Amino acid sequence: MKNTLRDLRAGRGWSQGDLADALGVSRQSVNALETGKYDPSLPLAFRIARLFDRRIEDVFDDGFAAGTLAAE
Amino acid sequence: MPEITFKQANRRYRRMFWPVIGVYTAICFAGPLYLKTLAEPPQWLVAGVALASAAPLVLVFWLMSRLLRETDEYTRAMQTQAMLAGGGATLSFAGVWGFLELFEVVPHLWPFLLVPMFFFAYGAVYCARRLRAGSGAAR
Repeated sequence: MKNTLRDLRAGRGWSQGDLADALGVSRQSVNALETGKYDPSLPLAFRIARLFDRRIEDVFDDGFAAGTLAAE
Repeated sequence: MPEITFKQANRRYRRMFWPVIGVYTAICFAGPLYLKTLAEPPQWLVAGVALASAAPLVLVFWLMSRLLRETDEYTRAMQTQAMLAGGGATLSFAGVWGFLELFEVVPHLWPFLLVPMFFFAYGAVYCARRLRAGSGAAR
Protein backbone atom coordinates (compact mmCIF):
# COMPACT_ATOMS: atom_id res chain seq x y z
CA MET A 1 0.00 0.00 0.00
CA LYS A 2 1.34 3.42 -0.92
CA ASN A 3 1.78 5.92 1.87
CA THR A 4 3.17 9.35 2.65
CA LEU A 5 4.96 8.28 5.80
CA ARG A 6 8.44 9.18 4.58
CA ASP A 7 7.33 12.69 3.57
CA LEU A 8 5.47 13.23 6.83
CA ARG A 9 8.48 12.07 8.82
CA ALA A 10 10.88 14.22 6.79
CA GLY A 11 8.54 17.17 7.32
CA ARG A 12 9.18 16.93 11.02
CA GLY A 13 12.90 16.37 10.56
CA TRP A 14 12.72 12.96 12.20
CA SER A 15 14.92 9.96 11.50
CA GLN A 16 13.36 6.52 11.13
CA GLY A 17 14.57 5.80 14.66
CA ASP A 18 12.79 8.90 16.01
CA LEU A 19 9.53 7.84 14.39
CA ALA A 20 9.99 4.26 15.62
CA ASP A 21 10.45 5.54 19.18
CA ALA A 22 7.38 7.74 18.90
CA LEU A 23 5.29 4.78 17.73
CA GLY A 24 6.89 2.24 20.08
CA VAL A 25 7.95 -0.01 17.20
CA SER A 26 11.28 -1.10 15.69
CA ARG A 27 13.15 0.99 13.12
CA GLN A 28 12.84 -1.97 10.76
CA SER A 29 9.06 -1.65 11.08
CA VAL A 30 9.20 1.99 10.03
CA ASN A 31 11.43 1.11 7.09
CA ALA A 32 9.10 -1.70 6.00
CA LEU A 33 6.11 0.63 6.26
CA GLU A 34 7.78 3.42 4.31
CA THR A 35 8.89 1.14 1.51
CA GLY A 36 5.43 -0.43 1.28
CA LYS A 37 6.73 -3.88 2.20
CA TYR A 38 4.42 -4.08 5.19
CA ASP A 39 0.86 -2.83 5.64
CA PRO A 40 0.08 -1.82 9.22
CA SER A 41 -2.80 -3.12 11.31
CA LEU A 42 -5.70 -0.75 11.84
CA PRO A 43 -4.59 0.21 15.39
CA LEU A 44 -1.07 1.06 14.15
CA ALA A 45 -2.45 2.97 11.17
CA PHE A 46 -4.58 5.03 13.57
CA ARG A 47 -1.54 5.67 15.79
CA ILE A 48 0.48 6.85 12.80
CA ALA A 49 -2.31 9.10 11.52
CA ARG A 50 -2.89 10.64 14.95
CA LEU A 51 0.83 11.21 15.48
CA PHE A 52 0.89 13.37 12.35
CA ASP A 53 -2.57 14.81 13.02
CA ARG A 54 -3.98 13.37 9.78
CA ARG A 55 -6.73 10.99 8.72
CA ILE A 56 -5.70 7.43 7.85
CA GLU A 57 -6.61 7.96 4.18
CA ASP A 58 -4.33 11.01 4.10
CA VAL A 59 -1.40 8.78 5.07
CA PHE A 60 -2.27 5.50 3.34
CA ASP A 61 -3.58 4.97 -0.18
CA ASP A 62 -5.08 1.57 -1.00
CA GLY A 63 -5.48 2.53 -4.66
CA PHE A 64 -9.26 2.77 -4.57
CA ALA A 65 -10.98 6.07 -5.15
CA ALA A 66 -13.56 7.14 -2.57
CA GLY A 67 -16.98 5.65 -3.33
CA THR A 68 -15.57 2.94 -5.61
CA LEU A 69 -17.06 0.08 -3.61
CA ALA A 70 -20.42 1.82 -3.18
CA ALA A 71 -20.75 2.22 -6.96
CA GLU A 72 -20.16 -1.52 -7.59
CA MET B 1 0.97 3.84 22.53
CA PRO B 2 1.10 0.08 23.14
CA GLU B 3 1.33 -1.14 26.76
CA ILE B 4 4.95 -2.13 26.20
CA THR B 5 7.22 -0.81 23.45
CA PHE B 6 9.39 -2.82 21.10
CA LYS B 7 12.52 -1.76 22.98
CA GLN B 8 11.08 -2.70 26.38
CA ALA B 9 9.95 -6.10 25.06
CA ASN B 10 13.40 -6.78 23.60
CA ARG B 11 15.11 -5.68 26.79
CA ARG B 12 12.85 -7.97 28.88
CA TYR B 13 13.64 -10.87 26.56
CA ARG B 14 17.41 -10.36 26.59
CA ARG B 15 17.50 -9.81 30.36
CA MET B 16 16.09 -13.32 30.85
CA PHE B 17 17.46 -15.11 27.78
CA TRP B 18 21.19 -14.90 28.47
CA PRO B 19 21.02 -15.93 32.15
CA VAL B 20 18.81 -18.88 31.17
CA ILE B 21 21.31 -19.94 28.49
CA GLY B 22 24.09 -19.57 31.08
CA VAL B 23 22.23 -21.83 33.52
CA TYR B 24 21.54 -24.31 30.71
CA THR B 25 25.23 -24.48 29.76
CA ALA B 26 26.26 -24.85 33.40
CA ILE B 27 23.77 -27.68 34.05
CA CYS B 28 24.73 -29.47 30.83
CA PHE B 29 28.36 -29.60 31.95
CA ALA B 30 27.96 -29.86 35.72
CA GLY B 31 25.11 -32.41 35.71
CA PRO B 32 26.95 -35.32 34.06
CA LEU B 33 30.16 -34.48 35.93
CA TYR B 34 28.30 -34.61 39.24
CA LEU B 35 26.63 -37.92 38.38
CA LYS B 36 30.03 -39.39 37.50
CA THR B 37 31.25 -38.69 41.03
CA LEU B 38 28.60 -41.06 42.41
CA ALA B 39 29.16 -44.81 42.24
CA GLU B 40 25.48 -45.64 41.76
CA PRO B 41 23.36 -42.51 41.51
CA PRO B 42 19.72 -43.14 42.41
CA GLN B 43 17.22 -43.04 39.56
CA TRP B 44 15.41 -40.03 40.98
CA LEU B 45 18.67 -38.05 40.98
CA VAL B 46 19.48 -39.01 37.38
CA ALA B 47 15.96 -38.06 36.36
CA GLY B 48 16.30 -34.79 38.28
CA VAL B 49 19.53 -33.88 36.48
CA ALA B 50 17.92 -34.75 33.12
CA LEU B 51 14.85 -32.62 33.86
CA ALA B 52 17.00 -29.77 35.17
CA SER B 53 18.96 -29.85 31.88
CA ALA B 54 15.75 -29.64 29.86
CA ALA B 55 14.01 -27.01 32.00
CA PRO B 56 15.95 -23.99 30.61
CA LEU B 57 15.00 -25.02 27.07
CA VAL B 58 11.32 -25.01 28.01
CA LEU B 59 11.84 -21.61 29.63
CA VAL B 60 13.43 -20.24 26.42
CA PHE B 61 10.34 -21.28 24.45
CA TRP B 62 8.17 -19.48 27.00
CA LEU B 63 10.38 -16.38 26.68
CA MET B 64 9.98 -16.53 22.90
CA SER B 65 6.21 -16.73 23.18
CA ARG B 66 6.19 -13.74 25.54
CA LEU B 67 8.41 -11.78 23.14
CA LEU B 68 6.00 -12.56 20.31
CA ARG B 69 3.08 -11.24 22.37
CA GLU B 70 4.90 -8.08 23.43
CA THR B 71 6.95 -7.03 20.41
CA ASP B 72 5.68 -4.82 17.59
CA GLU B 73 3.47 -6.30 14.89
CA TYR B 74 6.04 -6.23 12.06
CA THR B 75 8.67 -8.02 14.14
CA ARG B 76 5.99 -10.47 15.32
CA ALA B 77 5.09 -11.25 11.70
CA MET B 78 8.75 -11.72 10.72
CA GLN B 79 9.52 -13.86 13.77
CA THR B 80 6.39 -15.99 13.36
CA GLN B 81 7.16 -16.71 9.71
CA ALA B 82 10.74 -17.63 10.61
CA MET B 83 9.59 -19.89 13.46
CA LEU B 84 7.09 -21.64 11.21
CA ALA B 85 9.71 -22.16 8.50
CA GLY B 86 12.35 -23.25 11.02
CA GLY B 87 9.90 -25.52 12.83
CA GLY B 88 8.70 -27.00 9.55
CA ALA B 89 12.25 -27.68 8.37
CA THR B 90 13.19 -29.28 11.70
CA LEU B 91 10.10 -31.47 11.89
CA SER B 92 10.53 -32.49 8.24
CA PHE B 93 14.09 -33.49 9.00
CA ALA B 94 12.92 -35.37 12.10
CA GLY B 95 10.26 -37.19 10.09
CA VAL B 96 12.67 -38.23 7.33
CA TRP B 97 15.36 -39.22 9.82
CA GLY B 98 12.83 -41.11 11.95
CA PHE B 99 11.76 -43.33 9.07
CA LEU B 100 15.35 -43.88 7.96
CA GLU B 101 16.17 -44.82 11.55
CA LEU B 102 13.16 -47.14 11.72
CA PHE B 103 14.49 -49.05 8.71
CA GLU B 104 17.99 -49.01 10.22
CA VAL B 105 19.51 -46.94 7.43
CA VAL B 106 20.86 -44.24 9.76
CA PRO B 107 22.00 -44.34 13.42
CA HIS B 108 19.85 -43.22 16.33
CA LEU B 109 19.49 -39.45 16.81
CA TRP B 110 18.83 -38.08 20.27
CA PRO B 111 15.59 -36.07 20.04
CA PHE B 112 16.91 -33.21 22.19
CA LEU B 113 19.30 -32.38 19.35
CA LEU B 114 16.24 -31.18 17.42
CA VAL B 115 16.06 -28.16 19.73
CA PRO B 116 19.38 -26.56 18.63
CA MET B 117 18.53 -27.69 15.10
CA PHE B 118 15.28 -25.72 15.29
CA PHE B 119 17.07 -22.64 16.63
CA PHE B 120 19.63 -22.85 13.84
CA ALA B 121 16.95 -23.18 11.13
CA TYR B 122 14.80 -20.45 12.70
CA GLY B 123 17.78 -18.09 13.00
CA ALA B 124 18.91 -18.76 9.43
CA VAL B 125 15.42 -18.10 8.04
CA TYR B 126 15.03 -14.95 10.14
CA CYS B 127 18.40 -13.56 9.01
CA ALA B 128 17.60 -14.36 5.37
CA ARG B 129 14.24 -12.58 5.63
CA ARG B 130 15.83 -9.57 7.30
CA LEU B 131 18.44 -9.38 4.53
CA ARG B 132 15.77 -9.69 1.84
CA ALA B 133 13.58 -7.05 3.49
CA GLY B 134 16.64 -4.78 3.66
CA SER B 135 17.57 -3.04 6.84
CA GLY B 136 17.05 0.34 5.16
CA ALA B 137 19.14 3.41 5.74
CA ALA B 138 18.22 5.51 8.76
CA ARG B 139 17.37 8.61 6.83
